[in-house]
Amino acid sequence: MASVNTQIKRGSAELAVLTLLAEHPLHGYEIAKQIEVQTGGVLSFDMASLYPMLHRFERRSWLKAEWQTLANGRRRRCYRLTAAGRKQLAPLRAEWRAFFQALQSVTGFQNA
Amino acid sequence: MPDWKQIVRKHLCLLAVFSPEFMEEVATHLEDNYEALRGEGLPAEVAFQHTIRQIEDRRRAWLVVRFLQEEFVTGVIREIALPGLLTSAAARFLYWAFALDHVRPNVSWLVGGQFLMSPLWWWCLLPIWGTLGALLSRRNGGSRTQRIAASLLPSAIMGAFILLIFVVGFTLSGLVNQYWWVSGRLESLGLVPPEFLLIPAAFSVLGAGIAEVSTKKFGRLA
Repeated sequence: MASVNTQIKRGSAELAVLTLLAEHPLHGYEIAKQIEVQTGGVLSFDMASLYPMLHRFERRSWLKAEWQTLANGRRRRCYRLTAAGRKQLAPLRAEWRAFFQALQSVTGFQNA
Repeated sequence: MPDWKQIVRKHLCLLAVFSPEFMEEVATHLEDNYEALRGEGLPAEVAFQHTIRQIEDRRRAWLVVRFLQEEFVTGVIREIALPGLLTSAAARFLYWAFALDHVRPNVSWLVGGQFLMSPLWWWCLLPIWGTLGALLSRRNGGSRTQRIAASLLPSAIMGAFILLIFVVGFTLSGLVNQYWWVSGRLESLGLVPPEFLLIPAAFSVLGAGIAEVSTKKFGRLA
């Protein structure tokens, strides 16, 4: 599949991450892996894109992060969407939906 | 299993200074990545090479740049400038209010005609402004580094202002041939900044420390 323009990837990153975390809390690696798998590799995050963004969301109180110790003694920083993040997600989804609908009406593309 | 914390500390020592937590998170990411590759059946050496590539060369530089950009540039207005400028204005106002009320700083004369001004009462109040700056920054989502930067901004502004006065003073006095004035300023240059730059900065950082401790102990104050 053709690579999607970098700008669009960046713009959609917020939506992808917040949507994933709306389902259940995840740690950084899981977020990156799930996005990659679910989008068939079209969207993928390297650490330089993912973690600064997660930390920014955390500072904005959209996410709450806490260290969890697994059964094997390893520590993972788990991110959970907060009420403020959920509030942020709704208009973001609406914006992207409107954007895709507008694009669809111009290009005639249909959902697969 | 490689010690990823150690490897990350070695490769990203700059991040270790600014945010040990971020560094640990990067290490756990690499650890997970390595284990996933091993789970897919890759030999240990191949999995290691594949994983470590994420923090080498251009990728390492990009990770550091993105981290620093996020820490210092993103939200710099809300998280550093605004809290810093507000508290700076408040601290300045207080200083002038005291000065108008004829509460002058103590002046200690030193050898060679140099002097040291000690506005003790002002210094003692600076931790309050430092605390407020850090709390405002925190309220706006500032990271620890940004909170410290916000608390230091009043001193930084003051220092920049003083240095500007000196530069302008030197230039003007050079133009009008008043070398005595220049030499006088040069003599005091080594002494004036500490009482209005370094010492207030130390008191302001103390305020940022108070904010950190109090928010940890009593929860989110701001």
